[in-house]
Amino acid sequence: MHIMEGFLPLQWAVFWWVVALPCLGYGIYQLKKVLEADREALPLLGVVGGFIFILSSLKLPSVTGSCSHPTGTGLSAVCFGPWITSVVCAIVLLFQSLFLAHGGLSTLGANLVPMGIVGPLMGWGIYRLLRNTTVNMYLTVFLAVAFADFFTYVTTSLELALAYPAEVGGFVSSLVLFLGIFALTQVPLAIIEGIILTLVFKYIVALKPDILVRLKVFPEEKIRAAQREA
Amino acid sequence: MMLRKYRLEIISIIAVIGFCALFLYTNSLMAGAEFAGSDTVGSSQIAEMTGKAEEDYQPLISQWVPPSGEIESALFALQAAIGGLIVGWVFGYWKGQKKNG
Repeated sequence: MHIMEGFLPLQWAVFWWVVALPCLGYGIYQLKKVLEADREALPLLGVVGGFIFILSSLKLPSVTGSCSHPTGTGLSAVCFGPWITSVVCAIVLLFQSLFLAHGGLSTLGANLVPMGIVGPLMGWGIYRLLRNTTVNMYLTVFLAVAFADFFTYVTTSLELALAYPAEVGGFVSSLVLFLGIFALTQVPLAIIEGIILTLVFKYIVALKPDILVRLKVFPEEKIRAAQREA
Repeated sequence: MMLRKYRLEIISIIAVIGFCALFLYTNSLMAGAEFAGSDTVGSSQIAEMTGKAEEDYQPLISQWVPPSGEIESALFALQAAIGGLIVGWVFGYWKGQKKNG
């Protein structure tokens, strides 16, 4: 989902930076607060952040005959919310733009908005909707992760369609084109990412359910019931 | 009982096998598929739409580019290794905590 350095006109690059910065700032503030309240949250952040590092480095083949990365952000959005997730994503994207030429510094804002903000926000939204219902906890995590992944790429398509509306058909036909490149490729990847990260979540429940209870990730009864089964 | 306990593991294994099968199927259907990154495909699409060659898109902020694909894969592997280290360390830490208390 990286928009390559130089491929976004200056005004759009600046615009997305302006959108991203306040979210990032709020994320840093929230992160400080969470870690001050509970030092045991740090290892959990390490795990969910570690998976963002791992998954966003894997370029997987898809049905469209091109490759794309999973994002790994959904689990972090479930455990810590979208704003803290954006801080971890900013670190990953900075690494990739400095050392891999995947995305650049001018487009970092435009890449952070889909991967670090809108995607996690969508995943988190689904999770919040289902958190207190009778829907199975693992199904909730799966949906949140898959949504976070998929909507990251929908947002990148939107950004490119806004910057490059087609001569015929304008924004809409351009959006369809970019969705075909990014979002369609992403469907199988989002599903597989959802399944894998749900499995990771199961292991967190098995090993360290207390931190999930303290951070109120799910209602205690749900976590305890799953823990007995795991 | 076993099936219920390990159902997520079983689903994961089936999904991974299914994913590989899908890849092999796609690969056999599309003879010309390059499996380039969607980032690259997106950039070509922009070039095509604007009628401006891809090489003409100059970085706004100059950037270090890995000199070869091999070096790029090494750095990607490094990124994954950093993540893997942290994940492994924490799971071990939790496991130890659980054993001791």
